[in-house]
Amino acid sequence: MNRRAIETDVCIVGSGISAAMIAERLARTTSAKILVIEAGDDTVPLAQRPAARERFLRYNENPWGVDHLEGYEVVGPLQSRSMQVGGLAMHWGAVTPRFSPEDFKQHSLYGVGTDWPITYEELDPFYQEAEELMGVAGAQGPDDLDPRGKPFPLPAIPLTYNLELLKKWASSAGIVMWSQPAAKNSIPYRGRPTCCRNDTCSPICPIGAKYSPDFTWNALRKTNRIALTTRMLVRKLVLSPDGKSVSHAIAVNRDRPDEPVELHAKQFVVAAGYTWSSHLLLLSAQDKAPNGVANSSGLVGKYLAGHRNVQTTVELPLKLYPGMNEQHSLVTKQFMRLKSGSEYIRHDLRIWESSSGRTARLIDDAGALMLGDAILDDWRRRTRTGTARVRAYYDVIPDRSSELTLDATRKNAYGDPLPKLAFRDAPESESMRGRTEESIRGLFADMARAGNGRLLRAPTVDNFQDHPSGGCRMGNDASSSVVDSWGRTHDHANLFVVGAPTCVSGSCANATLTFCALALRSARELEKALPRSTTTRSGTVE
Amino acid sequence: MPTRRSFLASLAATVPLAVFVRRAHAAAVVHLQGDPATLDALALTVLPSRLGRPGIAREAASFRDWAANYKESAELVHGYGTSRLRSTGPTPLTRWTTQLDQLDADAQRLHQHRFRELSAANREQVVRDALKGERLDRMPTVVDANHVAVALLAHFYESPGAADLCYEAQIGRQTCRPLAAQSSKPRPILKVLER
Ligand SMILES: Cc1cc2nc3c(=O)[nH]c(=O)nc-3n(C[C@H](O)[C@H](O)[C@H](O)COP(=O)(O)OP(=O)(O)OC[C@H]3O[C@@H](n4cnc5c(N)ncnc54)[C@H](O)[C@@H]3O)c2cc1C
Ligand code: SF4
Repeated sequence: MNRRAIETDVCIVGSGISAAMIAERLARTTSAKILVIEAGDDTVPLAQRPAARERFLRYNENPWGVDHLEGYEVVGPLQSRSMQVGGLAMHWGAVTPRFSPEDFKQHSLYGVGTDWPITYEELDPFYQEAEELMGVAGAQGPDDLDPRGKPFPLPAIPLTYNLELLKKWASSAGIVMWSQPAAKNSIPYRGRPTCCRNDTCSPICPIGAKYSPDFTWNALRKTNRIALTTRMLVRKLVLSPDGKSVSHAIAVNRDRPDEPVELHAKQFVVAAGYTWSSHLLLLSAQDKAPNGVANSSGLVGKYLAGHRNVQTTVELPLKLYPGMNEQHSLVTKQFMRLKSGSEYIRHDLRIWESSSGRTARLIDDAGALMLGDAILDDWRRRTRTGTARVRAYYDVIPDRSSELTLDATRKNAYGDPLPKLAFRDAPESESMRGRTEESIRGLFADMARAGNGRLLRAPTVDNFQDHPSGGCRMGNDASSSVVDSWGRTHDHANLFVVGAPTCVSGSCANATLTFCALALRSARELEKALPRSTTTRSGTVE
Repeated sequence: MPTRRSFLASLAATVPLAVFVRRAHAAAVVHLQGDPATLDALALTVLPSRLGRPGIAREAASFRDWAANYKESAELVHGYGTSRLRSTGPTPLTRWTTQLDQLDADAQRLHQHRFRELSAANREQVVRDALKGERLDRMPTVVDANHVAVALLAHFYESPGAADLCYEAQIGRQTCRPLAAQSSKPRPILKVLER
């Protein structure tokens, strides 16, 4: 069998947003040869996105072409099937809050969960770097709740007329809210235009106002600073004879599956997201690592984390105009900080304009069919007052058995078992679940009352744990974690796992900015082992 | 010249199912584009008169365009929290064109005229009869609408223009608009729309 070998300094597995961050920084600060391997196809070019968006709007078609691998139907809640250059962040809504300082020391502050081996303050410069790279537009919240070393790189997305009214409503319920930070251009930034609020950020921005990793990849490819190989699936990491480092990776070119590829590198970075990173480590079991690479702790695939949400729609005596910018919202971190002595109930809170309960209908209250002007008249009557969508992500402490395992019953085209996912709450979260959801329902009811409104429907709980992370949690102790605080695996000196998988817990806010900050911090460590860049380039490459 | 129905029947007898379905969609498109008068009359019956006749004709044309460009088995936007992929289903257009034919047949039976030739009141009655037994408890998405009359309504009512007409304001949902303008209340729509 023909075997092709490729040599490089750094081999990055995956081309999602965490990979883009790390590649961008290494390309800027080192002169290392960087090879990025992506299992999926290239993404849809910017010029084709308006047309793709149009078909999404008309027919709900996937605007991202073929962005999945055949046969990857897995058991359990996979966040998304998307696998392509840019990863899930081609589809993302680009909502980019930071975690709060409390998230990193849950155990020492509140006696639950596990402390991270880093503090918020240590992560702050990397948050800033990620925000600058992507172009995050944000409003500074109250300093104590929303601390940051430097201002947001871009001015906040202005509140819509609707959100201004809803902010006053929240304030009447004693809640201080502000514009949700987002990686969307409030002004032109790094060659990309200002957001024109056409409101399809997730799944697709037709003009490139929303940051997605392809912009970073395009710039890096243009300057030949990296090589990005698509349609190549890394199947195994092979250890050196002493088992202390990774010697090479074995990959399959999806177009020539009979010719395996060996990827030799000084440093390996697994940046394949919360599912595929642990999956690859487990698939790589070999004599020197019988339970999988980097798995001497037995914790690879364990402690999958995330947050659940409770949401509802509130009817308010306000004249609102839904459609002004439905994907933008208000946010508060007020409930992410506990009052001393109170139970461990932590959540964020967001409010959006909504058209829920206010769409046109076909039959009137008496059940009679309406046609012609009657439908419009009825609709006009019902939209004299408006509705708001309210949602709280709440903290879930992950259990060790919240896990990804290999599914012996399902295999991909190359015979490798697929992953199986199961999320479970730690006992402290399990016991608090009912009271947490009750408390949030109570808050929604109080808010409705404060605005002389009412809940349009009973709040619902989504069992999906959103913004999933974990599986290779970080820590100082090699027996209770997979990687150190920099993402370097405890077991193998030249193997890093970066971003989502390394999280200790999932907080109660959208988590991707945190994954990016962690990836940039890993890059900071990796660059110590690589030749420094001889050309000084400031800022990020775009 | 064979009628659309006899043409479809001969197709069904001679070609495999997938090819038949594709050709049936194409035949339905030709049928609808070639003789849009029943659909136009249906639009006049179910859409708000405030759109004005030209506005209603535009909506009917836009619906025809939607239907003509429908693709079967296209991958739908990925679900969240699941690895299951979904695709668009069979074309609804063949069913809708049959229903348009049926409106004509009902009009002939009840009033000895084609649907397009009926008075507004008679047209409305024919449509009401046709919709008996349909699920009408909510406005469906266009593709989920079983009956062409409901599909036409769904197509209009999910459009940005419909929202503007309802709110009598230039909201311009899902269209490219200056970001800074979102802080102000949307401007009133020009009354010319309401003829
Ligand atoms: C619809 C949607 C909306 C979202 N909105 C938001 C939001 O508003 N805010 C927010 O914070 N988060 C949001 N998210 C989540 C966010 O997109 C993800 O957290 C983030 O993109 C994950 O990035 P990643 O780099 O960790 O992994 P991924 O994006 O999964 O990238 C991993 C890449 O590695 C590739 N790969 C995997 N295994 C291999 C292998 N063995 N060999 C080669 N390549 C491999 C994959 O194909 C993939 O491209 C959203 C997600 C979705 C789906
Ligand atoms: S609102 Fe429109 S322009 Fe702005 S980021 Fe979203 S999709 Fe892009």
